[in-house]
Amino acid sequence: MGDFFSNLSLGFGVALSLQNLGLAFLGCLVGTLIGVLPGVGPIATIAMLLPITFGLDPTGALIMLAGIYYGAQYGGSTTAILVNIPGEATSVVTALDGHQMARQGRAGVALGIAAIGSFFAGTVATLVIAALGAPLTKLALVFGPTEYFSLMVMGLVFAVVLARGSILRAVAMILVGVLLSTVGTDLETGEERMTFGLPFLADGIDFAVLAMGIFGIAEIMRNLDHTEHRDVVRQAIGRLLPNKDDFRQSYKPVIRGTLIGSILGILPGNGAVLGPFASYTLEKKLAKDPRRFGRGAIEGVAGPESANNAGAQTSFIPLLTLGIPPNAVMALMVGAMTIHGIIPGPQVMTKNPTLFWGMIASMWVGNLMLLVINLPLVGMWVRLLKVPYRLMFPAILMFCCIGIYSINSLPTDVMFIGLFGFVGYVLIKFGFEPAPLLLGFVLGKLMEENLRRALIISRGSLETFIERPISAGLLAVATILLVIALLPSIRKGRDEVFTE
Amino acid sequence: MSVLHEGPEPPRHHGPVRAPQSLAGGILLIALAALALWLTRDLDQGTLNAMGPAMLPRWLAIGVGLSGIALLVLSFMKDGDPLERWSLRGPVFVIGAIVAFALTIRPFSFGSFATPGLGLLFAGPLAIILGGYATNEARLRDLVLLALSLTPFCMVLFGDLLNLPIPVFPQALTGLFPADWSQKAVLRATAGIMAAAAVILFLTTRNRRPAPVDVADHSGRI
Repeated sequence: MGDFFSNLSLGFGVALSLQNLGLAFLGCLVGTLIGVLPGVGPIATIAMLLPITFGLDPTGALIMLAGIYYGAQYGGSTTAILVNIPGEATSVVTALDGHQMARQGRAGVALGIAAIGSFFAGTVATLVIAALGAPLTKLALVFGPTEYFSLMVMGLVFAVVLARGSILRAVAMILVGVLLSTVGTDLETGEERMTFGLPFLADGIDFAVLAMGIFGIAEIMRNLDHTEHRDVVRQAIGRLLPNKDDFRQSYKPVIRGTLIGSILGILPGNGAVLGPFASYTLEKKLAKDPRRFGRGAIEGVAGPESANNAGAQTSFIPLLTLGIPPNAVMALMVGAMTIHGIIPGPQVMTKNPTLFWGMIASMWVGNLMLLVINLPLVGMWVRLLKVPYRLMFPAILMFCCIGIYSINSLPTDVMFIGLFGFVGYVLIKFGFEPAPLLLGFVLGKLMEENLRRALIISRGSLETFIERPISAGLLAVATILLVIALLPSIRKGRDEVFTE
Repeated sequence: MSVLHEGPEPPRHHGPVRAPQSLAGGILLIALAALALWLTRDLDQGTLNAMGPAMLPRWLAIGVGLSGIALLVLSFMKDGDPLERWSLRGPVFVIGAIVAFALTIRPFSFGSFATPGLGLLFAGPLAIILGGYATNEARLRDLVLLALSLTPFCMVLFGDLLNLPIPVFPQALTGLFPADWSQKAVLRATAGIMAAAAVILFLTTRNRRPAPVDVADHSGRI
């Protein structure tokens, strides 16, 4: 326990320095600014803004990136409430009741409770990370390549189960993602694989390029196909602070949402996505009058928003302790860390304690910033949302180009975002979801490496994966999950959760 | 994202295909698998004890192919979604803008083909104006205004304040300014000129606009 406090105070010492406070503030501000734009989710935002952190020291850069991430998340919720356009999967739920509240002239209260709930969730999640960081890092030391491989398999199975739509399509997307990760020079033999003989493919496909193409550019192309009325709320925003009644109605959903979000966020395989859905379903089940949901129930904003933020934060745990990115955003964090010469994993905490604890403390600072920045700036976001899309998307397009060019100074990278954008567009049109593909790509290289090592140790025997107890346990969980997800009755329930 | 989709259309049957979207998806996956198998045909698979470079890609490709076949078969057996509406205009202009940016940002050569490096000064407006035509609501004046105001902003932000290694203007441009001016000074002056041009364009063409549109009423395309 003593460690817990001394670590946190070390972290706050770093996070509260004037420079890092400024960086957290700036990160939250620009993150929200870009995240508010309709159709730009956190992944595209981070990929776009990654280059602006290059000149900073590693701690400052990661603090700023974390700020950008939270800002982008909150910006997405703002868009969901004010325009009914969810910027990303997790704010779909917020749009349901949040937008109805906005139409009733209670946009301010919806934004306020979202910010306050997120802040509470962020505070709890920060403590969870601080508490679990050290023990999980110890756990990582008993993990060998066999266990790592099985853990990642379990993560991918989670991603399949949690993806919307057909399980077969999700499996196919994961396989394609892992397949894409094998493009480039084989690390053991030095032979080039599937590079078409092109020199810029020899190092493999850059993650930021793939993510920007599939999530940024494809989204623009898809939005251009939908001529839809963007109904920015015309009602007054109203007061921002929720009153006593609002608090009475929403404090329990906030606490429940925080718990659900924190737990789901820790799971590898993008569990954080499920948090808001689970919280919404739970609140609807618990409500005395479930018919209020979908018509502006404040619980429908408070719970999911808290779950969203808690999950966003606890999803740092697998990355910081085991070195496994659980979702695409964390994979971008890996990219950012590598650029600054830090290899994510259990050794970060021991070798670089100021960075580790500084980043954790700055998560809390970032949440506070959001509360302070966003509420007064709501008016500005509303104005930004009134800019027509025909002017917004060329700007987004140019920022994407500049952002991706600045990472490696390669014109081919820029062309590839166009190519992957088109691939993403085709996939969406054919009913595939790109998120599992990206996760497969993220974990692909690590999986191949660990699979090879595990098989070398076991002299080519596949049985090693079920002989070693931890690995067997992880694979058993994965199998059970997959079987459950395929059972007809559960499938129906799963579809209901996602269509609500 | 389901909120963005247009309402489900009633299933239409054309012949034996009951889920055109799955059929197309299946064919895509099979083609992808075939491509991967063809590309790895010369590589060594190795043994489980010492995996060769082709082992994983080959098995993954087989997995992708099998999923594709499953989708294909299912499309004849189960009712599913029809193919969504396509338009070529969006992707063509968006990709065109991206390629134009990539080709002009710095000297680029591919075989015998080479482009001059024009820097952000030209690549930025090119991407904005060309990309802007991806929608049929594009208006040249607005796009030029946007290009003239955003480009100097980005030049100052990325080139001057953040010092990113992004080419800002062609070297030839420095010749137009006094010889003792530094790169940064040229950058700032150019950005200033562009911003001024944007203001002038805005003021002179303001009245030619049709009746001012109430922005709040604007039905943005999304």
